[in-house]
Amino acid sequence: MTFLTGPMYAGKGEYLQKALNLTPEELSARAVFHVEEQAAGEESLEDLADRLAQYDFVIANEVGCGVVPIDPEQRRLRERAGRLSCLLAQRADTVIRVCCGLPQVLKGEWTC
Amino acid sequence: MLTLIVGGAASGKSEFAENLVLTLPGRRVYVATMEPYDGECLARIDKHRRQRAGKGFATLECYRDLGGLKVPARANVLLECMSNLLANELYSPQGGATAAVLEGVTCLCAQCVHLTIVTNEVFSGGRDYEGDTLRYLRELGMVNRILAARADRVVEVVCGCPNVLKGRLP
Repeated sequence: MTFLTGPMYAGKGEYLQKALNLTPEELSARAVFHVEEQAAGEESLEDLADRLAQYDFVIANEVGCGVVPIDPEQRRLRERAGRLSCLLAQRADTVIRVCCGLPQVLKGEWTC
Repeated sequence: MLTLIVGGAASGKSEFAENLVLTLPGRRVYVATMEPYDGECLARIDKHRRQRAGKGFATLECYRDLGGLKVPARANVLLECMSNLLANELYSPQGGATAAVLEGVTCLCAQCVHLTIVTNEVFSGGRDYEGDTLRYLRELGMVNRILAARADRVVEVVCGCPNVLKGRLP
């Protein structure tokens, strides 16, 4: 599994499509997007990460680099989103951060 | 030797920092800066205690006045975290200023073999803040820059993965 993280609208999906020469449909069939939103539920993040790791590509938005929110629920969601990303990165063969459409390989090999 | 570890919320920066200190020979001291003023803080403190259990850290608490902290000789010290320590100093009536925090780091550096400091990336959520929050962001940003300039090694942690910004990892 390849895990992509980065700010929203950084071009993570677009980068993958170009790098792998895939149509949007082909990518959609092998990828799951916005997984940080799935971290909100009460289920085990480990189980969620195991399930998501079945996809070829897992894409998350980085949401933990702003001021700590005043609202406790917002804080909890941000923590869970970050923790999920750590668990996905552990399971991934390759971790790529995309910034302004540009890839930075943080783990593993990526020859595309 | 000074190492600065920076990362966002739940980025895995603490665990990465602990494991980095584990690679160093000698005694290990953890300087905890989070003041336990409510249940959420207590839960967070507990989580971090469990995370570093068995890693051989002696814990010292320091909520402010870092310059007055005495640590055992020839120790490898992990300070976690600068964002809490600075908030304690800035928001507390008896607290000092940013300069005191930086002076505290100098004092701590002089006492230990290797100092590792964890700090937070909190600067990517826009500029829609004012008053105390904006002041805090400005001061923490300055502290981070000064520490990074002093540091031998600066590592950004992203979902548990290191991105080395200065120096190199062992």
